[in-house]
Amino acid sequence: MKKLSLLILSLATMLTFVGCVDVDEYDDSPKGNFEALWHIIDEHYCFLDYKADVYGLDWNEVYERYSKQMNSNMTESQEFEVLTKMLSELRDGHVNLYSSFDNGRYWSWFESYPANVSDTLLRKYLGTDYKITNGMKYRILNDNIGYIRYESFENDLGSGNLDNILAYLAPCNGLIIDIRGNGGGLLSSAEKFAARFINTQTMMGYIQHKTGKGHNDFSEMKEQKLKPSSGIRWQKSVAVLTNRKVFSAANEFVKYMKQTPNAMIIGDKTGGGAGMPYSSELPGGWSVRFSACPMYDKDKNITEFGIDPDYNVQLSDSDLQNGIDTIIEFAREKLKQ
Amino acid sequence: MKIFNRKTWLATAVMVWLITSNATAQEYSDTIRDGKTYTNATMVGVGGANILDTYLSQEKYRGLSYEMVYHRTIDRADSRWSKQIIHSTALFITQNRANTGNEWELMYNYQHAWLYNWDFLDGRLNIKAGGAIDADGGYLQNDRNSNNPLSVKAHVSIMPKAIATYKFKCGSHPAAVRYEIGVPLVGTMFSLNYGQSYYELGKDDYDRNLVLTHFINAPSLKQMLTLDYTTKKTTLRIGYLGYIRQSDVNNIKCHNYNHSLVIGIVKRFNILKIRP
Repeated sequence: MKKLSLLILSLATMLTFVGCVDVDEYDDSPKGNFEALWHIIDEHYCFLDYKADVYGLDWNEVYERYSKQMNSNMTESQEFEVLTKMLSELRDGHVNLYSSFDNGRYWSWFESYPANVSDTLLRKYLGTDYKITNGMKYRILNDNIGYIRYESFENDLGSGNLDNILAYLAPCNGLIIDIRGNGGGLLSSAEKFAARFINTQTMMGYIQHKTGKGHNDFSEMKEQKLKPSSGIRWQKSVAVLTNRKVFSAANEFVKYMKQTPNAMIIGDKTGGGAGMPYSSELPGGWSVRFSACPMYDKDKNITEFGIDPDYNVQLSDSDLQNGIDTIIEFAREKLKQ
Repeated sequence: MKIFNRKTWLATAVMVWLITSNATAQEYSDTIRDGKTYTNATMVGVGGANILDTYLSQEKYRGLSYEMVYHRTIDRADSRWSKQIIHSTALFITQNRANTGNEWELMYNYQHAWLYNWDFLDGRLNIKAGGAIDADGGYLQNDRNSNNPLSVKAHVSIMPKAIATYKFKCGSHPAAVRYEIGVPLVGTMFSLNYGQSYYELGKDDYDRNLVLTHFINAPSLKQMLTLDYTTKKTTLRIGYLGYIRQSDVNNIKCHNYNHSLVIGIVKRFNILKIRP
């Protein structure tokens, strides 16, 4: 029986080690949703300190200002409106609140600026006999300049697609990659495409991630290195056309192309979006998206608010009326030089 | 001319002895008992689960679990040590409290234990205690998340373990109540860092992704309470299975509380090897 008592004692000791790993859930109420949302951003959003420096964002002051607006008598739509407004303080296109009736968003990063792109003009330049594969429309313009229209990085770019496109455009004297309006997508697609324009491994920038809840808890910056593609690589001049709607993975593509030897960026400043977005959710079931992993250019500058072009060119009203795309024409001239 | 010389006589005698001795062995024992008793239990279970993984969400997900568990215990007649091997697979299908999001988890567990035996109460109470290597692997997926859609789970640990079995008669039928418990003591687990992305991990950005675990940062528990009831030649098992998996590493909190009802069949047998 002595042995039995010893075994029972050992068992009881084992059980005392098992504590709880848990978190407190906020109430499913307007106040609870507000608290949950404010804390998700406070603990996970990656640009709080950066935005405090750039335009004086004070996330604690935001809490004070918006918590007063929350009360239990609010309708769902009023609650959604206040929470979306609070998120707009972050001035980030990667921050969204998703409900079953609306997507809360901050789109001033492109809505407050000229579009610098026209569907009518693009239709004129592309014509009707252009080729199209994996989301890329392409053709050879009449002055032997290759033209690729690429509106989204959502598709996973295949190396076979890129080989075929670049082989078709190989006789051209230069290449235009028109990504105006491209809101991003897969970072891997941006990398695969940019890898067609380098011949050696190239350092493109840096990335890091949060390691804790503190606003300044970050890992070390890790270099983003890009290896040249083993497929067909473009060796002539290339012009990348941009506007304010170039965002996220497309913004990264512009960052990469800035490091390639034969590329120039023409058009308007990009929209930015340099934080890889993560998701979380509120007690009421609404989903929230926010920037989590900051990305930097090769000089360790955050590209969250966009990348300046090499040549800032705007679409002029007179050209628009005459059926001329000022930015494409500027690129064609530069590629001929 | 001599037909049989001395050497020939000797060789013949040896051959006759070999043949007759072999025939004698075949006649008296053509089977070999390896002295091991195998107890196999195959069980299926269904229960409730409560899942938290703050890499995916601050919200707890609740729902159902479905398990399949295979136990093999090997007892030796010539030793007080037993061996136990467990394979189990579990599927968890859970929802958030607003029913707007789903998380589902698929987990495989392997356990290899070495246990020492004590018998009490004239052999009616058997207690096994020892250690096990316990390995979990799988993933938890959130169906709404963007660049943090899933959490990969991999954990290997050394686990002190104990099993108590009390045999009794229920009418004329043999029955047994059995309780089994294991608590992972020390091990290592894979975990992303707090805000690390799989994109970065794919670029060989290692950031404390293999973490030392112990009973303070990963307090977990696996237990099972069952009743075995033998009717004619079949032993049925019914009982409770509880898994408490928890971790608080790299500032990510996780738990999976799983309580299930299990039912299965137990087979106890010896293996006989037959000589050709």
